[in-house]
Amino acid sequence: MKKLHIVGIVVIAVAIGAIISSLSDSSTYANFEEAFATPESEFHVVGTLNRDKASVYEPEVNPDLFTFYMVDREGEERQVDLLKSKPQDFERSEQIVLIGQAKGEVFRATDILLKCPSKYNDGNPEETGKES
Amino acid sequence: MEFQGEHLFSGQLGHFLVLLSFVAAGLSCFAFLKGHQESDEKWERLGKLSFRLHTVSVFGMIGVLFYMLINSFFEYHYVWQHSSLDMPVRYIFSCFWEGQEGSFMLWIFWNAVLGNILLYKRSEWTASVMAIFSSVQVFLSSMILGTVVLGYKIGSSPFTTLLREHVDFANLPLFQNPAYLESLDGRGLNPLLQNYWMTIHPPTLFLGFALTLIPFAYALSGLWRRKYNEWMKPGLPWAYVGIMVLGTGILMGGAWAYEALSFGGFWAWDPVENASLVPWLTLVGGAHLMMIHRNKGTSLFGAIALVMISFLLVLYSTFLTRSGILGDSSVHAFTDLGMSGQLLLYLLFYIVLTILAIAIRFRDLPRTKKEEPLWSREFWMFIGALVLLVSAFQIIFNTSLPVINKIFGTKLAAPTDIKDFYNSWQVPFAVIVSFIMGFVQMLRYHGSKFGPFIKKLSIALLLSAALAIAAALSLEFQNPFLIALLWTSIFAIIGNTQYFIEIWRGKVRKVGSSVAHVGFGFILLGALISAGKSDKISMNTSSFDITALSEEMSNRENLLLVKGDTLPMGKYLVSYTDRIREDQNLRFKIDFFERKDQGINKVFTLFPFVQLNPRMGNVPEPDTKHFLDHDIYTHVTYAVLEEPKEGEYDEREAWMAVHDTAFLSKGILFLDSIFPVKEIEDQEIEPGDIAVAAKFELWDFNTVKHDLYAYFILRDTSFVFNIPAIKEDMGLRLSFQSIDPQTEKIQIKIEEEQAEKKDFIVLQAIVFPYINLLWLGCVLMVIGTFIAVVQRLKLRKN
Repeated sequence: MKKLHIVGIVVIAVAIGAIISSLSDSSTYANFEEAFATPESEFHVVGTLNRDKASVYEPEVNPDLFTFYMVDREGEERQVDLLKSKPQDFERSEQIVLIGQAKGEVFRATDILLKCPSKYNDGNPEETGKES
Repeated sequence: MEFQGEHLFSGQLGHFLVLLSFVAAGLSCFAFLKGHQESDEKWERLGKLSFRLHTVSVFGMIGVLFYMLINSFFEYHYVWQHSSLDMPVRYIFSCFWEGQEGSFMLWIFWNAVLGNILLYKRSEWTASVMAIFSSVQVFLSSMILGTVVLGYKIGSSPFTTLLREHVDFANLPLFQNPAYLESLDGRGLNPLLQNYWMTIHPPTLFLGFALTLIPFAYALSGLWRRKYNEWMKPGLPWAYVGIMVLGTGILMGGAWAYEALSFGGFWAWDPVENASLVPWLTLVGGAHLMMIHRNKGTSLFGAIALVMISFLLVLYSTFLTRSGILGDSSVHAFTDLGMSGQLLLYLLFYIVLTILAIAIRFRDLPRTKKEEPLWSREFWMFIGALVLLVSAFQIIFNTSLPVINKIFGTKLAAPTDIKDFYNSWQVPFAVIVSFIMGFVQMLRYHGSKFGPFIKKLSIALLLSAALAIAAALSLEFQNPFLIALLWTSIFAIIGNTQYFIEIWRGKVRKVGSSVAHVGFGFILLGALISAGKSDKISMNTSSFDITALSEEMSNRENLLLVKGDTLPMGKYLVSYTDRIREDQNLRFKIDFFERKDQGINKVFTLFPFVQLNPRMGNVPEPDTKHFLDHDIYTHVTYAVLEEPKEGEYDEREAWMAVHDTAFLSKGILFLDSIFPVKEIEDQEIEPGDIAVAAKFELWDFNTVKHDLYAYFILRDTSFVFNIPAIKEDMGLRLSFQSIDPQTEKIQIKIEEEQAEKKDFIVLQAIVFPYINLLWLGCVLMVIGTFIAVVQRLKLRKN
């Protein structure tokens, strides 16, 4: 067998390994129902902030804990404990992606992605009048 | 209705120029094709003329868009969306290419410039290469056509979309007013992008993207014209220019993220970052295979494949970042303009073209029967290029999960610890590549004898191993892969330095490759140490630890700093002393002190800030103290941004059981007891009243206890009122609002005067050790590649 054949086989094996690891290590987009059905495993959950319920951030107590309520795309609401500081401009967020796991009755998020309408969409010309 | 003050002519002119550039590119493509087929100079001249016309119209439309931006023609959606009246002129370039349309124009611009450089001197390659060039320009111009053809909207043009006609806004009452422009301001540039990086990073990156087209065009014409070997001679210098410019662009992106964005590092494995890195990796591999072919005549197929894949990956990246398919997985992809079909067509056209060209010519490609000897330069360069390809594949496959979801209907998301996931794959690849880099130049083409080779190499091997062990011990590395990379990256630096000394003899032009390889070694080493040993020193050291929340405490990476207080952080004492408003920036003054002998010395001050932008959202930006051997990077993760107002109260409600605590901005509130009372000081209680008192203990931050009483009174079984507890010197009012007999909790309204609230910030600080090695490596790699380009150009002339 030629050296290059060996190299070729190794390369293909590594590439297949890369594919398998991407597929098996990947997390899953889910709703709260699925996340709470298998607690303590990682999910990405997409939803929106429930503005009617208070979100609590008490940095004096723990600057790495921020609690709020999110409604997922199916309409299910859960309390979320984000183990990070409260993201700046959180209230403006239009859509939230949580990365974390269900624990008891609470979804414990280790990371959060926010989509703010101001940064990603168009805003509104009515609001951009000249400042007099 | 006649609208007043609109400048419709510039839009029409711009649109005309876009159409002209599209048609001229098409004509140029056709003429060069004819010129190639019929070997007719007349057609070629027509092609050249059309490409010139295309170039002029591209320059013209760019000029028009700048004119519109400078003069704030907000009647155009693009101008309104990306600029505003208060924006400094220096950001005009950033506005230009903030949007998809402008960045497409930037790309078209670079392609036009490069095409003209290729046209400068006619060669046998002109017709075929320029035909491919023009075809790309046809596709790119179509992205900004903004014209409806047969019911399909092709491209999105900054010139044709008027704000008042935009689908989202057309019905606004604002546009009932013919003089609407008089009161209109632009939405403005995203504050994140308002810095000089946004001025230099995109043009560099897009020039890099544009440069991948040249080797691609030469490789494709090589197949087309059956000049399988000859295309490399003109193509190779361009491949190296591409490596240099694209590499610089990517590194600038990293430097930008590190210096001005609060990502907490220079590389986050974000899909958009990955999409620009991957074509660079394959281009580096491809250029090295071209080198093998130039010197030895082998690796032809690999060179063609990798060079062509690099360009296809640029197109694929374009598709990923612009079609909106990345959606939730990236924080900084472009907004979707509904052009995914068009982008997909562009991508597929060149994929099919590449596959066809290779398939048709596959049997015809010259091959060598002889195997490369094991200890030859070409064998290990080939292995290195393959590893780069596999590494690129791993990155792009995982980045493509959203595409896989789209095709197969799956719901895969990126692994949770994305950095860890990529590093576990990419570190071993980096180990192999850097190890090969360390010795490959010591080998000759056609093979060396193993004995003398290993003898020559032994110094570098032993010295790097010794240094790596010392570094691993002092920096406390434990992961075997990271230790291996520590060794191999040092080995790459030493091996190439040795090679540099060997061939130097005052000839600068010969040392390009060794300088670039030393640079790459430093990049790996700097990235390894600074990222692998970065240290979040902002643990919470404030005295308010609540053990009940211990489970969350492990995640602590933020420090609460109350104004005026001084807290230990790492080896420093830090103090938040002031907030300063400078235009739109709110700067937080953080003093760093060091314990020295008896006293405490102030060593430096950092000003992380939050850019305030009520329209676009507030953006925190870091501030970094640079030392020779480490950086201290800080950013404010949370701060109350509104100025506190006197006499205004913030209120909230809490349900508390006896012995519960609540946290106030000026202390901790403890509910001691609830009990019925018969009489209340200064208050009349009627015989039928039921009065309940809540006794609170308020512990202030000096741990002084204050007793407070709030009362809840029920009169005639129906009328309820309360008597709040007031602590005026702390701006505090507590009202006892109701009782829930089932849970035995009481409802408390807590009101705190804003002016009395403590001013605090939540700070994150990270130490990046030896990050300067990374920047040194970047500079060396760019210099080295530049020398290599110059050398290649000289060789081409001979």
